[in-house]
Amino acid sequence: MSTMTSSYVRVVVVWLLVLAALFAFQRYFS
Amino acid sequence: MRTLDWFIVVVYLVWMVWDGLRRTKNVDALEGYFLGGRSLPWWAVGLSVMATQLSAITMVGTTGQGFNDGMRFLQFYYALPIAMIVLSVTLVPFFHNSGVYTAYEYLERRFDAKTRAFTSLLFLGSRSMSLGVVISAPAVVISVMFGLSVTQTVLVLALPTAVYTMFGGVQAVAWTDVKQMVFIVGGLLAAVVVLIVGLPADVSLSDALHVAGSTGRLQTFDFSFDLTNQYTFWSGTIAALFLFCSYFGTDQSQVQRYLTTKSVDEARGSLLMSAYWKIPLQALVLLIGVLMFVYYLFTPGPMLFDGRHDQALREGARATEYQALQSRFTDASDQRRAAARAFSAARAAGQGVDAAQADLRARDAEVRGVRAEAQRFVRAATGDSSYNDTNYVFPTFITTQMPVGVVGLLIAAILAAAMSTIAGELSALSTASVIDFYRRFLRPEASDAHFLRVSRIATGFWALFSSVVAVWAASLGSLIEVVNRFGSFFYGSILGVFILAIGAKRATSNGAFIGLLAGMASVWYAASYTPVAFLWHNVIGAVAVVIVGLLVSEIERQVRGPAASDARARA
Repeated sequence: MSTMTSSYVRVVVVWLLVLAALFAFQRYFS
Repeated sequence: MRTLDWFIVVVYLVWMVWDGLRRTKNVDALEGYFLGGRSLPWWAVGLSVMATQLSAITMVGTTGQGFNDGMRFLQFYYALPIAMIVLSVTLVPFFHNSGVYTAYEYLERRFDAKTRAFTSLLFLGSRSMSLGVVISAPAVVISVMFGLSVTQTVLVLALPTAVYTMFGGVQAVAWTDVKQMVFIVGGLLAAVVVLIVGLPADVSLSDALHVAGSTGRLQTFDFSFDLTNQYTFWSGTIAALFLFCSYFGTDQSQVQRYLTTKSVDEARGSLLMSAYWKIPLQALVLLIGVLMFVYYLFTPGPMLFDGRHDQALREGARATEYQALQSRFTDASDQRRAAARAFSAARAAGQGVDAAQADLRARDAEVRGVRAEAQRFVRAATGDSSYNDTNYVFPTFITTQMPVGVVGLLIAAILAAAMSTIAGELSALSTASVIDFYRRFLRPEASDAHFLRVSRIATGFWALFSSVVAVWAASLGSLIEVVNRFGSFFYGSILGVFILAIGAKRATSNGAFIGLLAGMASVWYAASYTPVAFLWHNVIGAVAVVIVGLLVSEIERQVRGPAASDARARA
């Protein structure tokens, strides 16, 4: 995998983690 | 504001102008002025991109939105990281490798001069007007904080920014943006700390967040598929993807920034910084609004945060009616406070939680109802139909609840957010007007020194123009909405032209131009005759341009023959 491709994969993984964290935050405090 | 706060604001303004002006020593050629000699580091450009995107409207408007509606606005940004990847793979290498100054310049190489001139003209028209709004909206609020007139506040915002942008060019813009970003993030973090520390002793942060969550203010996901609702998961991930691709990929204020990096990978790195940080940063801004809601839930707050209107109504002809509304607000707030404490007690005891939560929601709806009524009252009493108290929540909180010193820091942060956006837009407006029109049509052979002079004059002109629009917009509130709607008419359509340019080898210049007109007409129809929310207009515009553009191109090929049509159609 090239450097840029792994950067893109990293962005997608972090994006999914952030969305999951926000969803958990909403569920826990609602 | 105390002396220390004024001192911090003045030091901030002087520092920004000095820091911007000292960049002038590297600006002796057009490429240095407009593109920083294509030598800026990716991290500085990344911070600059984020600073330009985060305007003072975000600081005062989005925090107020968090206070009123909670965090659901965050969904608007969910597609941004994906848009950054799409742009890094597609448009960024095209722009960077073609050595252009403006995004629209690329359209002439691929299509023709009229497509370039038209898209650039659309950018100049909409950006210059929206820049006026970007200055006007915070100026109205800051004028209340400073005790200055709107015109004076517009000058405080626009003049120093215009000075360092005129003389320092894009380097001054980018390096001051980096410092301004530090002010913005520092100010936001300070606000969070003050808000958490300011909670009553018997209310923990967990209690506060449960109260906010119970009133729906921590909702960051709405999976309903409703084309008329602006903020759902689907509009934020599908429709906003088109908006962000258009904004970051075709708007000169963003494209110019990543053209200042020395390589394609550095340009990509600067965009990916936003991919990582935009959602958390926006969540922080909205969380401040939510924490202000909790703060004012436990600490008695004003019914109207705009002190000027509040005072005028107390002393006006309808003072008795207004006082009655104020009494209802005080009663409803007291009942909501009691309901919040009962909810926290129920949670601690582990029983009766559902009933306490339902009561809290009902009491909150009552308070919101009275506040909405108060705002309608202001609109009717003052004749200002666009009055919205939302923008005054955070500034009022800063000036009345924040400790000395932090007030100055936060006002500097709001000024930083405004100035970074103004500087970026001024530089982009100047670049597009000089490169796409003056150099292209009037004086193609002039020297760099001549173009530098003209560019500085153009920057000054756009600063003056947007300041006049700002003062005008402040007195004509409804104009703000018109300008915002005007911008949304062609964002998606311009994206459609760029999709044709890099993705459709068979697209011809006439196909692209007619497609662009068809896209704008489609968006106009959707905006005028359907209830579809504006985010989806970007999808409608882009899809219409691509379909009509390809159809017209194919018809042209059939009529004129492939050779004639292909003459300019090179990828």
